[in-house]
Amino acid sequence: MVQFLVKRFIGLLFVVVGVTFITFIMGYFAPGDPVLLMLGQHYNQAAYVALKHVYGLDLPWYQQYWNYLKNLFTFNFGLSYEYKDRAVSAILASGVPISLELGSWALLLTLIVGLPLGILSALKANTWVDTTNMTVMLILFAVPTFVLAVFVQVFIVWIDQSTGASWPVSNWGTPWHYSWSDIQYKLAPIIVLAAGAVAFYARLMRTQMLEVLRQDYVRTARAKGLRERIVIYRHALRNALIPIITTLGVALGSLVGGAFFIEDLFNIPGIAGIALNSIGTRDYPVIQATTVILAVAVVLGNLLSDILYTVVDPRIKVE
Amino acid sequence: MDTRKEQGQDLAQGAMLGRVPDPAMISMDEVSGMAEPELERSKRPATPLQDSLRRLRRDKRAMVSLGILVFMVLIALIGPPIYQHIGGPYVNQITGQTVGPQSYHNYYYENLADQDQGPSAQYWLGTDQLGRDILARLMQGILVSIFVALFVEVFDVVLGISIGVLAGYYGGLIDQFLARFTDIMLAFPGLLFIIMVAGIFGSSADSFFSHVPVIGPNGNARLLLVGIVLGIVIWPFTARLVRGQTLQLKEQQFVEAARTSGTTNTRIILRHIVPNLLSIVVVTATLNLSNTIVGEAGISLLGLGVQPPGSSLGKMIADGAQNITSYPREVIIPCIVLTLIVLCFCFLGDGMRDAFDPRSKD
Repeated sequence: MVQFLVKRFIGLLFVVVGVTFITFIMGYFAPGDPVLLMLGQHYNQAAYVALKHVYGLDLPWYQQYWNYLKNLFTFNFGLSYEYKDRAVSAILASGVPISLELGSWALLLTLIVGLPLGILSALKANTWVDTTNMTVMLILFAVPTFVLAVFVQVFIVWIDQSTGASWPVSNWGTPWHYSWSDIQYKLAPIIVLAAGAVAFYARLMRTQMLEVLRQDYVRTARAKGLRERIVIYRHALRNALIPIITTLGVALGSLVGGAFFIEDLFNIPGIAGIALNSIGTRDYPVIQATTVILAVAVVLGNLLSDILYTVVDPRIKVE
Repeated sequence: MDTRKEQGQDLAQGAMLGRVPDPAMISMDEVSGMAEPELERSKRPATPLQDSLRRLRRDKRAMVSLGILVFMVLIALIGPPIYQHIGGPYVNQITGQTVGPQSYHNYYYENLADQDQGPSAQYWLGTDQLGRDILARLMQGILVSIFVALFVEVFDVVLGISIGVLAGYYGGLIDQFLARFTDIMLAFPGLLFIIMVAGIFGSSADSFFSHVPVIGPNGNARLLLVGIVLGIVIWPFTARLVRGQTLQLKEQQFVEAARTSGTTNTRIILRHIVPNLLSIVVVTATLNLSNTIVGEAGISLLGLGVQPPGSSLGKMIADGAQNITSYPREVIIPCIVLTLIVLCFCFLGDGMRDAFDPRSKD
């Protein structure tokens, strides 16, 4: 167990270094001289050198990277190019709770809707319930998040126009507050972001459940005369859930990717929205910081799902 | 002695794969074909490839999807030249010039007098908020999607097979490299990586690639960058799959037989391993095509792919989304087309996976 964790941790370290290096080197080779751009018509040699020093851009690349890594540990992502005196972390600070809220609700929804749907389908395998459910899930899974977002927006607008209600299709309420207007803002984006992952989990859960229900120990449990509920929830479900845990990291990754579209289309000022805006102003440190934050979050999610896996499945410890 | 080994190994191989036979096999067939009467020849059992294709043909969902996809490709390729010859001359209300269909049925012709028009004889699917013909933009968008998807898949398959086979067959350093690279790519959500690269290098790609003929002009230059990055993100997964298959294949008896009879490694890889991988790679590539199309559309939707005046399904969705309250039609049309393409590729890929699965016998 300890050996496994140490091994996993070394792998994690390697990946984090790789991810940060890629984001760093992108910014390093980014076209245009940001300092020159910032000075504009106020350019003179002394100011140029001084400003370059302030941003640490006069150092060789490996020192820049080292500083970049060191600063990451204190959540210091450097200074913004666009808003000259503001730190990147200050710019992103307002977006973090919003994105976190969007992501957590979507993940929660994924689990509490996707898994039961999959279980239902497995228990009613090959009936009309199963077929309908799986067809809907296949379509939800295949349709891109942004298309779904657009369809939902069109639907909301249509409801608005035909009933005179005023349901918003953009912006976000106060983070972690749930008054009626907040819920109106948040409901649609969360559902749309979760939809793809819900479909993924429903399909996966169905497969796993059917696999487990075929096993001998389920037959044994039934043969012992256990009630069907106990067979399903105590014997089958627990084992079917094990592989689900390993895919949590993948689900997190897909949610992070989807968040860009959701925050763009619904005009949500989360960190993905901020990053997209900063692309227009060529504020590279903001893009880099967003990428690093999200990528590291996904890496940690993967690690967490691995650890959970070893906790849940005792067979792993033997290896 | 030597020839007998080759024969045995070919038979073993032929029994387990669906593909074009070895040259050695063909020559053998020709010899026997001359000796046997024609009737005997046609009665020989179907090759695994024919079996798979027969199974695929029987899958209605996959066949309908294939039909729709072929239709889309045809529309994208031959639709625009035909469409630009339909319709009479027309007076532009603002400039006062008379323009023919080759102008107003062009995907980047902006007719500001005809903004947000509904479907009509002149504009079959209406116009967008700049007075551009939606059908013309749609056809261009499909063309862009399919072009990018094919480009990425060629990149993906070539790199995936070559690196994957080398890693699986030889192991060692190249295997280590592949494993580490895949680890990083797995951790890095693909879309995030593309957004970062396209966001930082997009504008320089515009100026750098705009001189490339055919694909460069009309705002499509950036797609080349997006295509390359999509390829970089996708290939490690194909390579890992190929590596796993290669590891299995190289333990098979026919490879052992080939090695015993003194076949070189290069020949084993090219003749015995790569052909056995093809069916699984084709299935993966088909399923990847839909991911690639969604990826390209998404990047264009975020404003990082096609630049104006170019068209892409994602760009059309982004443009239409700004008008969603007053003219939802403009955003729904590209959404439906994109959904249709993606679903068709999914169904086709699913059908192919079932058909090529050696375990599924009718």
